[in-house]
Amino acid sequence: MSHAIEVRGLRKTYRVRERREGFGGAVRDLFRAPKRELVAVDDLSFAIAPGERVAFVGPNGAGKSTTIKILSGILHPSAGDAAVLGLCPWRDARQIAFRIGTVFGQRSQLWIHLPAADSFDLLARIYEIDPATYQRRRGEFVEAFGLGPLLKQPVRQLSLGQRMRCELVASLLHAPEILFLDEPTIGLDVTAKAVIRDLIREQSRREGRTLLFTSHDTGDMESVCDRVIVIHRGRILLDRPVAELRRSYIGRKRITLHSVAESVDLKLPGVEVIERRPHCTEVDVDLKQSSVERVVQEVLRLTRINDLAIEDPPMDQIVQAIYADAESTPAPEALAP
Amino acid sequence: MTTAALHPGFRPAKYLAVARTALRQALAERAAIVGRMAFYFVILLIFSQLWYVVGEMGALGELGATEFLWYLALTEWVMLSLTPVHLDIEADVRSGEIAYRLSRPISYLGGRLAEAAGDCALRAVTLGIWGFAMAYLLAGSLPKDPSGLLLALPLGVLALWLGLVSMAAIGVTAFWLQDCSPVYLVWQKAAFILGGLMLPLEIYPDWLRQVADWTPFSAFMYGVGRMSFGFDPVLAGEVALRLVGWSLLTTLLLVWMYRRALRGLEVNGG
Repeated sequence: MSHAIEVRGLRKTYRVRERREGFGGAVRDLFRAPKRELVAVDDLSFAIAPGERVAFVGPNGAGKSTTIKILSGILHPSAGDAAVLGLCPWRDARQIAFRIGTVFGQRSQLWIHLPAADSFDLLARIYEIDPATYQRRRGEFVEAFGLGPLLKQPVRQLSLGQRMRCELVASLLHAPEILFLDEPTIGLDVTAKAVIRDLIREQSRREGRTLLFTSHDTGDMESVCDRVIVIHRGRILLDRPVAELRRSYIGRKRITLHSVAESVDLKLPGVEVIERRPHCTEVDVDLKQSSVERVVQEVLRLTRINDLAIEDPPMDQIVQAIYADAESTPAPEALAP
Repeated sequence: MTTAALHPGFRPAKYLAVARTALRQALAERAAIVGRMAFYFVILLIFSQLWYVVGEMGALGELGATEFLWYLALTEWVMLSLTPVHLDIEADVRSGEIAYRLSRPISYLGGRLAEAAGDCALRAVTLGIWGFAMAYLLAGSLPKDPSGLLLALPLGVLALWLGLVSMAAIGVTAFWLQDCSPVYLVWQKAAFILGGLMLPLEIYPDWLRQVADWTPFSAFMYGVGRMSFGFDPVLAGEVALRLVGWSLLTTLLLVWMYRRALRGLEVNGG
């Protein structure tokens, strides 16, 4: 087995009902609603080596979650082939289930009214982990993830960041060879995001685990992954090392300034004002021309500030830029790694 | 239940562990336990008053108001002890949570039924003790032949299993309908009427009783409640056989529906 994951010409279509407009349309839909074929994943091909950490990114509806659901054996594809750890996900779902882990940021595998320790005990049974191994791994994770004081608290009383740390441990107890992460940092504050990213990266490095990580947050991708696959409308738009993507497309930051002065007039190269409201200015910074530090220094020279937020450009904007590049590039293979 | 249908490589210990965890979770929900007990008491209180008024008018025939109240205590015990597993399945389908659960090495359906059984066990024990005490308090005595109540216990357990697999089958309809509440409402009303939730089937017209006997509902509730009228091991055996038979049929239907649902699965939620 040379690849942890291999996907060849994968396609998934859904038949969705279309609702007609108006009352008459709703009545007619009761008897016969027109159906339309929706292509979620279209001729997707890629391979991931063991131990590789791959970000799988794209805007909403790009086909990321559908691909993960196919690779974890939940959905059957309409066409194409895939191998996960040398096995066919939809035919060998049971064997694969023991060797993969999943973390879905918007779902929980913990029992809400019970302490996380009870969910860990149950998962040990479900994954048939022998008691000695379970105790050892649990002890290691409790220490590494700082769960000691949280272990006996009902899950409903944990903060989102604490809960997500417990979710990660729950997914790692059975030592999966591949971990599928579907937006694990969604809704977390900056600090909690950083903690979760560090833990995911460190665990993956230590145990040589392959990661397939979907997120809308470019920060997740930069902090955790070595390679990025961008998909849009079910097709691969770009497949490159993260460092290269950073150079080409993430060389910008968005800074929101809440200033004491009613308006701030920044005159720096590569700095463009996107929105201006009284006491609030939002600027886009081209890092090749001006650094964040330089912009902040200039702002402090002009006025005092009440608050400051520095963000990566939204994923949609990055995808738009990649898409624009792809449109203007004649050969699609030019974007391949 | 055909274990292979639940999952290849079926390991009962996993499902027992799920049931135990569900029981612990149910124990942590004290308000829900108290709420169910309060509702059970109100029902018994209202109907005890009604049966005594009707009984004084001589409208209950050979059976007394006490037996009617104990009958109601047993049928309500079955109905209130049932965990609404259909709502859990529906919620999994609608929210997309099912994706998470399907990726584990445990049958989704088996896991959901084990969870429901664990929760239902707590309900059955708490409501059983509570219902017995309240029925005794409100009726002022045990039924004329209280030994029949002993037969009601094993029959109640079989009825609860039939109820859980029926509700799971209703929940599986959410794979196609998204909302299984219309199916549940039809099933529930049919169970109330054809199962004789409030009134024993002896009071029904012959034709309606015959219709009820062709459905699982008469064994499901009347069969259990009827034990309050006296010790009848022959009748209890017949009810037990019907409960087991209907449970097997419903389980086969459930597994068939679930397999078809999985074949056409489209997971919600991105």
